[in-house]
Amino acid sequence: MTLTLLDELLLFSGVTVLVALFLGRRLPAGWMVTILYGIQLLSLLKMAPLGYGGDPIPSTLILEVMGQTLSWRFDALSWYFALITLGSALLSSWYACGEWEQRFRQAGGNVWLFHLAMALNVFSMLILLASGDLLSLFIGWELVSWAGFLLMAMAGGVATRAAMRYITYAMVGAMAIFGGIALVYVSAGSLQYDAILTAVSQMGTPHLWMLVILFSAGFGIKMGLMPFHLWQAPAYAETPGPGSAFLGAISSRMGLFAILLVLVKLFGIVNIESLKIPFTLIDARDLLAWIAVFTIIFPTFTAMKQNDARELLAWHGIGQGGYMLLGLVVADAMGAAGGLLHVFNHATYQAALFMAVTAVIHRTGTSDLNKLGGLVVRMPLSFMVLLVGIIGLAGLPPMNGFVSKWLVYRSLLNEGMPLLFVAAVIGTLGTILSVYKLIHNIFLGQLRVEHEHIKEAPWSMMIPMLILAAIIFITGLLPGIPLAWVASVQEAVGLSVPNYTLGGVESASGSLDMIWVIGVLFAGFGIGALVFYSAGKSKRVHQLDNYAGGHFLTADIRYQYSDNFYAGLMHLIGGWYRGSFLWLEKSVKSLVEFLSLGMQGIYRRANAEFYLLSTALFVIAWVVI
Amino acid sequence: MAPLELIIELVLMPLVAFIVGLMMVLMMRRIAAKLQRRVGPPFFQPLYDIVKLHGKRTQVSHGMIHDIGIVMAMGGYIAAETLLPVPGMNGIAEKGGIITLLYLMMIPSLGLALGVGQCANPNGSIGIARALTAMLAYDIPLVIVVFGVAYAAGTTNLVEIIATQQAGGFETWGAVQMPLLAIAGLIAMHASLGKQPFEIYIAPAEIATGPMVEMGGKYLGGLFVMQSFQLYTTSVLYVSLFLGGGTTWFDFLLKSFLVLAIPVSIAYLFPRYRTEDLLRLMWKWPVMLGLIGIAFVM
Repeated sequence: MTLTLLDELLLFSGVTVLVALFLGRRLPAGWMVTILYGIQLLSLLKMAPLGYGGDPIPSTLILEVMGQTLSWRFDALSWYFALITLGSALLSSWYACGEWEQRFRQAGGNVWLFHLAMALNVFSMLILLASGDLLSLFIGWELVSWAGFLLMAMAGGVATRAAMRYITYAMVGAMAIFGGIALVYVSAGSLQYDAILTAVSQMGTPHLWMLVILFSAGFGIKMGLMPFHLWQAPAYAETPGPGSAFLGAISSRMGLFAILLVLVKLFGIVNIESLKIPFTLIDARDLLAWIAVFTIIFPTFTAMKQNDARELLAWHGIGQGGYMLLGLVVADAMGAAGGLLHVFNHATYQAALFMAVTAVIHRTGTSDLNKLGGLVVRMPLSFMVLLVGIIGLAGLPPMNGFVSKWLVYRSLLNEGMPLLFVAAVIGTLGTILSVYKLIHNIFLGQLRVEHEHIKEAPWSMMIPMLILAAIIFITGLLPGIPLAWVASVQEAVGLSVPNYTLGGVESASGSLDMIWVIGVLFAGFGIGALVFYSAGKSKRVHQLDNYAGGHFLTADIRYQYSDNFYAGLMHLIGGWYRGSFLWLEKSVKSLVEFLSLGMQGIYRRANAEFYLLSTALFVIAWVVI
Repeated sequence: MAPLELIIELVLMPLVAFIVGLMMVLMMRRIAAKLQRRVGPPFFQPLYDIVKLHGKRTQVSHGMIHDIGIVMAMGGYIAAETLLPVPGMNGIAEKGGIITLLYLMMIPSLGLALGVGQCANPNGSIGIARALTAMLAYDIPLVIVVFGVAYAAGTTNLVEIIATQQAGGFETWGAVQMPLLAIAGLIAMHASLGKQPFEIYIAPAEIATGPMVEMGGKYLGGLFVMQSFQLYTTSVLYVSLFLGGGTTWFDFLLKSFLVLAIPVSIAYLFPRYRTEDLLRLMWKWPVMLGLIGIAFVM
């Protein structure tokens, strides 16, 4: 038996888990695991033809369970998501294994468990991405859920509570997916993708509706789609630093992967579009698109109100997922390309942002946006990484986030969807406000006395951050590199492909060439610099040498604007934050509590005769009828 | 197009924008003077100001990002001008389109925001917070307008949008075809200039001129240059979207100056709004007009 490339990859990934499990208590365990991620990535790169339209690679492992065949294989879609998974795992683990790990251990953290949880996450994600039928998909899905739980819960305290909330949501999602799979099995008689593809064309409307609702709810919970988004921000924010970088980069995208596979590839957007909602003008696709834009807007504006850097980023992570789904359900060549490209772009800048914030926590011990400020003079490289990251997150040129959002905007324009377009832009504007608050409150403004002697983040943390920053810029300059992979994903799931070039997209209704745009931008900066620096030489003054309306500033005076940053905006929209979803969650929770109390009451009564009687009656009724 | 020709265009376009921008500053001051019954400054005053500010002996820097912010504020606009077609020159307008132009125009604001942030003065930071809020206010009607125009034209390519209007004559001008969008666009454009009654982020009486509080010498000079570019870019963009661009330099400049004269004249007649009132105003009237306008386009 010869091993295929996929077997090799899964084998390496399994070995990584074993190494983390058995050798993880040795000192250089972090480095060993990181190197193993590197080997996995190399093994994935050997499958690179997949990213350029190559044939799917099967695994030799095939299981027969109760008449069901379970198989695993990698196609362009799996390869693209696996590349992002392994890339973020490698960089997060690299980031973790130096000084961060020592500090984490000193603070009482369990380094062994951290690396094990990371390795388990990567392994289970690869299993999920390789799934070759709905049953193996479900197995992979469950593995990912529990592995994620382990990583989220390990910090204890608040983190464990957040993780419990996550796993509750995840189990509800799993039930929905399981129900969906059962329904599919009933109508298709098999869980193989090919059989489902043929069965879908014969399904009735109510049947398809049920499936779309079950699967999009089940997978949507993982993505944090509205109204199932509440679990995500606290769970990601409380995960130990590099772990949150990894989770924020890729974890919830597993939901998007599954949506792509099941809703787009198997059911087909055309079929979803044919599901009209009675008495309205919209169909199931529009419904998904609107869920996507609400997922963009509400979490983004919630992020704006956060006073903790990690919470802020985690909330944005939810919002950015909305852009991906939006592009995918618009499903024309540009929109789908934008949505898919955004998965890659988001992973790069979100990981960089979480790492930069973790670096700040590493040096200052806090991520409270009201207790920082002025750090740019102490941590200039971290500032630069955060700046690159927020430009990507806000979707401005010259970083990669701009390209994917541009594609989504263009598709909404082509398809003539003004309200969705405006909603998507509102999300971007909200993001700009929010990320400026982030960078201002951490790195700009007044440097606090207690931070006067802190140093730049250590190199072990700095290098992965710089690599990410470079990727964010390069894929912004040359979006053609990831767009080639995206194009083969689009082909693999049966979507049309845009006419992409190295610098962007060619289209009759308006093209984009980032090489030129960034070229002139930097030329402009050059001229600006020439004008600026050729003028009189400037003198650097102390930060307390500042206008204060006639007062003298001294070191003990806090001269910084950080709290309630957008006061004017909040005067108007502050009252619109009603916590409705929290209320909804609470009411579901108390309903469940009430029901369980009722059940408990019946159970506690322990009236044996009553149970016997009712069972007997039930059996009689069953037999008679 | 020959590469040499393109390079000449890429150099000329920002240069023209700068010169016209300076004249627009002059016009703004002259209008203010007329309304306030003053004489107003001489023709070369804007140029004198820039030279003076850059030549000052006292130049106070609050650090690296303070400097870079000013460079970004100027450089971003210089780059944006090459995406904005003028009579006879298209630069790289076809390689970006209007969405890219709108986003590129945010780079100078980002640079300014970063630079002001490092000044460690809460007045400046409040000014930026207000400026970003203002952006959230006026950009929503603005993107509705841009959507309407681009959808009606079937392209985001500014060159084509202008060419279509010029080919069909006056009746095909954006303002004639889509009057509601044109009105909404004018209101949003006025707010984007940050002039009264929308100058919430300068507000000298409240936050000591906000972003400019720690700016002097060449720093203020850089902001002056940025403002000239901003006046030019905003009015030329409006002319391109709604008034058929320019076939000759004469009607191009005439239209641009006239368009700009409207918000500037209004500006000096009104006091300042509060931040939340600006949001309320922008999200109500131009948004409503824009949405109705789009409904007509679709």
